[in-house]
Amino acid sequence: MNRKTKKIVKSILKGILLFVICFLIIFPFLWMIMVSLRDRVDIFNPGDWFVTPTLKNYIQIIEVNGIFDYFINSIIVSVATTLISLLIGGFAAYGFARYNWKKREDRAFFALSQKFLPGMAVVIPYFMMAAFFNLLDTRILLIICYTTFNIPFTIWMMRGFIEDLPRELEEAAFVDGCTRMQVLYKIILPLVTPGLVATAIFCVINSWNEFVFANFLTTISAKTVPTSVMMYLSVSGVQWGEMAATGVLAVLPVLIFAICVQKHMIRGLTFGAVKG
Amino acid sequence: MGTVTKAEKAQKGGAIRRYLERNPQTKFIAPAMIAMYALSVIPTIFLVIISLTNYRLGWDFSRMKFVGLDNYIRLFSGADADFWHSVWISLLFMVVATAIEMALGFMLAMLLNSSEFKLKPLVIGILIIPLAMTPSIAAQMWKLMFNSEYGILNYYLQLFFNVKVTWLSADMAFWSVLIVDIWQYTPFVTLILYAGLRSMPTDPYESAAIDGASRFQTLIHITIPMMRKLIFLALLFRAIDSLRLFDTVFTLTQGGPGNATEFLSMHIYRLANAQNGLLGRAAAVAMVLLVIVTVISRFLIKQQRKED
Repeated sequence: MNRKTKKIVKSILKGILLFVICFLIIFPFLWMIMVSLRDRVDIFNPGDWFVTPTLKNYIQIIEVNGIFDYFINSIIVSVATTLISLLIGGFAAYGFARYNWKKREDRAFFALSQKFLPGMAVVIPYFMMAAFFNLLDTRILLIICYTTFNIPFTIWMMRGFIEDLPRELEEAAFVDGCTRMQVLYKIILPLVTPGLVATAIFCVINSWNEFVFANFLTTISAKTVPTSVMMYLSVSGVQWGEMAATGVLAVLPVLIFAICVQKHMIRGLTFGAVKG
Repeated sequence: MGTVTKAEKAQKGGAIRRYLERNPQTKFIAPAMIAMYALSVIPTIFLVIISLTNYRLGWDFSRMKFVGLDNYIRLFSGADADFWHSVWISLLFMVVATAIEMALGFMLAMLLNSSEFKLKPLVIGILIIPLAMTPSIAAQMWKLMFNSEYGILNYYLQLFFNVKVTWLSADMAFWSVLIVDIWQYTPFVTLILYAGLRSMPTDPYESAAIDGASRFQTLIHITIPMMRKLIFLALLFRAIDSLRLFDTVFTLTQGGPGNATEFLSMHIYRLANAQNGLLGRAAAVAMVLLVIVTVISRFLIKQQRKED
């Protein structure tokens, strides 16, 4: 075998390997879509690939299970927590990006350590404090809880985006007599808007998928989409079709969002530490 | 007159003002720092207090009694055998899941980096899917696929190899959770390390090729040292996330069968849930989890921050 054919064989093998890996990664997602379009009977015959699709499951979850209530809760909670986090975290990010003080990195890493707070460990005090303030099962409680991971996330993400901007722009504005607030509002804000949008989308995704707080701090009126899967577990077995339909509706907006911020995906996944 | 009042004002708020002048960053970071301290330090103090009491779910606070270190003594004296089981499988899961995800993720990143092809954006897009999928919902889909009677995995295993695996049995449940975790988070490692590989300078590789270094030598002596920071970052995120794993276990196995997959978070849940309601004891376990997570994340952050 000469070198050229060897190279071709190698690249074909690589292609096959990549295809198999991609198939394995995407399969549970595809299967979820297929199950959501299947009749109850067909779900128990996973070997039949070609069955008549039905929208029964979607009609069921919308009309009977009232899935939109969960979606409304999820949307309100994620949007509100994102806006609060962007405001508070954005200001802090500017401080971290543009000032230099002795304890700066310690403070920044304190923020990072908030991300690693195990939800199950802090949910007990949150539960008791919420009970004390009569906040259990409210959206406000979830909004507050979600800022625990969204504020540090915003700080780290936005710090990176602001540090990418040249300082000279601000200095020129200061020379022209602008105050710090004017500079922030008129120069920094327009320039970091793309970064702000990307950060906002990541905050929404993180809040949308959150489970621990949503499961333990809400019971009926503030339940969000990730906890809705528990409602399909009944004595007569699991309603797989309905669950898959909910899953599809829940995951699709997140996926669309994720594709929108694909350019910043690595930055978002790593708390802004890697400028991919 | 005006100047006098101004001076008086300056005198009054002097300390604060002078502090703000010396530390101009304070007014920017203060709201965030206060929010973060309020949402983490106060609950932690509260958790410590609860862990020293016999408090149960639904009790009036007046019934609460301080029991000193009883809850901790119960944990560490071995009276609570389930606790040590949870610690052990949590740490085991962390090590195994992180190791496999790092290895597979690194290999996949190398594979992606080794050649250029048109469909690469599509592959990257596919890698994002498991990361964007709501973990609790993804775990439910895996539960359906793992089903021993009508799950698709067993259907094909039976068709091609004539074997039937009871995925969620006591022996297999741990590994099933591991499979789901690997599926969901290997792309995370891949994306990070792929970004690192892409941004590598080419000069060291050229000089290595001139020196006649083998590919394995290049990997060990050039690629891995240069990616040290990124590798530690991925390690940090994966180690901590797999240690505090909850959504997947909760939906997939509920910690069972028996306590086969009762990781620390699940153990806290089982003590604290509506049936048991032992909040005092659960808080003590939560403190242990908090300490383990803090120690490991401190160590890894320190490694990550260290300059070469």
